[in-house]
Amino acid sequence: MLSFLRIIKFSFQDIVRNIWLSIVTITILILALFSINMLLTVKLVSQNAVEAVKEKINISLYFNADASEATILDVRQKVEAMPDVKEAVFISKNAALENFRNNNKNNPEILNALKELGKNPLSPSLIITPKDFDNSSRLITSLKVLESDAIESRDFSDNSTILEKINFITARVNEIGLFLILIFVLTSLLVVYNAIRVAIYTHRQEIEIMRLVGASNFFIYMPYLFSAFIYALVSIFIIIISFYPFLTILQPYLEVFFTGYSVNILTYYVNNFGTIFGLQFLAVFGITLIASLLAARKYAKV
Amino acid sequence: MIKFQNVSKSYANKIKILRGINLHVKVGEFVSIVGQSGAGKTTLVKVLIGEERVSEGQIVIGDWDITKIRRHDVPFLRRQIGVIFQDFKLLPKKTLKENISFALEVCGAPSAKIKKIVPSVLKIVGLEDKGDRYPREVSGGEQQRAAIARALVHQPKILLADEPTGNLDAINADEIIDLLLRINKFGTTVILVTHNKDIVNRLNRRVVTMDKGVIISDKEHGKYLL
Repeated sequence: MLSFLRIIKFSFQDIVRNIWLSIVTITILILALFSINMLLTVKLVSQNAVEAVKEKINISLYFNADASEATILDVRQKVEAMPDVKEAVFISKNAALENFRNNNKNNPEILNALKELGKNPLSPSLIITPKDFDNSSRLITSLKVLESDAIESRDFSDNSTILEKINFITARVNEIGLFLILIFVLTSLLVVYNAIRVAIYTHRQEIEIMRLVGASNFFIYMPYLFSAFIYALVSIFIIIISFYPFLTILQPYLEVFFTGYSVNILTYYVNNFGTIFGLQFLAVFGITLIASLLAARKYAKV
Repeated sequence: MIKFQNVSKSYANKIKILRGINLHVKVGEFVSIVGQSGAGKTTLVKVLIGEERVSEGQIVIGDWDITKIRRHDVPFLRRQIGVIFQDFKLLPKKTLKENISFALEVCGAPSAKIKKIVPSVLKIVGLEDKGDRYPREVSGGEQQRAAIARALVHQPKILLADEPTGNLDAINADEIIDLLLRINKFGTTVILVTHNKDIVNRLNRRVVTMDKGVIISDKEHGKYLL
C-alpha cells in the first residue's frame, strides 16, 4: 500500500514536471477518441438511413377494378406462399380511396378533381412486404412471373439502388474512418511512447540512483505505467464531457433530416454509456500501457 | 566474504577488460584496489554490483553466487552493497535528508523506519545539522558524506567506494577516508577503488594493484606501486 502511494506520487510528479508533453499526449488521445466516436455516430446515422429507406420499399400488385375479392384473395394466398414474402396486405378499392383522401387532405385541388370524377378511380391492391429487404430482387422476379388475369399492373418501385448506394457510402465512410482511427492509434502509440521516453529522460538521474540503492524494477517502471493510466482516464473523461454537448447540438439536425423516423443518437449514447466508453477506456489504456511498457523497458535501464 | 574465482570479462569486441581475477576479501577488511585508468577497476565494481555480467569465472558474496544472478534479484544484491562514486550522484532538487530518505522510499521502507534511520546515518557522517540543505549549499566533502550516508541506510555488509575522493581537495579527501575507516571499524567491509597514491600509502592497509585487467600485486600492508 505504501509503495503504491509512492508510485502514485512519483507518477504525478512525472506528469506535472512534463506538463506540456502530458497535455499534448492527452490531446492526441482525445483526437483519436473523437474520431472513433464520430465514426460510431456516422455508423448509427447510416443504419437509421438504411432502415428509413427500407421502410419506403414498395412492392405492390394492382388489380383490375372489376376483379372479385375472391380472385384477389386467391392471388394473395399464392403470394404469401412464396418463400421471400413476409406478408401481403389486401387494400380494397374503398380502403385505397380512403388512404388517398387522407394522404391528400391538405390538397383541395386533388380532392376536387376526385369529386369531379364521380367514381372511385383506384384499383384494389396487394401491398407485399419481403422477408429480407436486401434480397427483395428475388421476390420481384417471382412476382413478375405470377400469372393472373386479374392483375392490372405490378409496381416494383425498387429502392434497392438507393439502399445499395447508402450501403456503399456507409462502407466507404467506415473504411475511411477505420483508416483515420488506425492513424490516430499509431500516432497515439508513438506520442505516448515519446512522452514516457522524455519523462524517463528527465528522471534519468533518479532512475540511476533508484537502481543504485536497490529499487525493484517494478518500482522503477510502475510510475510510468500509472502515468499511462492517468492519460487514458483524463482523455476519456474529457471526451465524455465534450462529446455529449456535441451530440446535443447534432441531434436536432438529425431529427429534421429523419423527419418521421425515430433517430436519437444521444439516447443511444446514454443507454450504452458503459459499453461505449468502457471499451474505449480499455482500448486507450491498452495502447498507452503498451507504449509506456515499451518505452520504460527500453529507456529505464540507466 | 567476497570471492572472485578466475573472473574474466570481455565485451562484444572481445577485448578482455578483466582476465582471470582471483581475489578473496575477508569480512571486515579494508581493501584498496589501485591501478591506472583502463586497469579494470571500475569493471570490477560493476560486476560486483550486478551491473555487468562476467564472461567467465565465479563471484561469490557470502554464500550467494552472483555470477548468474537473475535480473529481479539484482536490487536485493544492491541493498547489501553500499556504493559511492566520485560524482556523489545526489539529486540536486532534494535536500540531503530527502536524498537519503529517497533511497529507503524507493525500496518500500515504512515511513517510521525512514524517520528513525535517516537522522542516525546523518549523525554517523557528521551532517546531522545540515540535513535540510540542498547539495549545492554544501561542500564537495559534505556531498560525499551525504552519499555515504545514503549508502549506509540499508546497513550494508559491504561498502564499495569508486574513486570517492576524485572530486575533492586533500583535506576533504582525508576526511572521507577517515569516515570510511570509521565505518570499517564498525565491521563493514570496505573496498576502496582509487588511484590516489597519498591516500593508499597513508592507509597502510591491504592493497590490490591491477594493470590491464590483471591483478599484478596483492599486499597485506601495501603501498601504491605504479
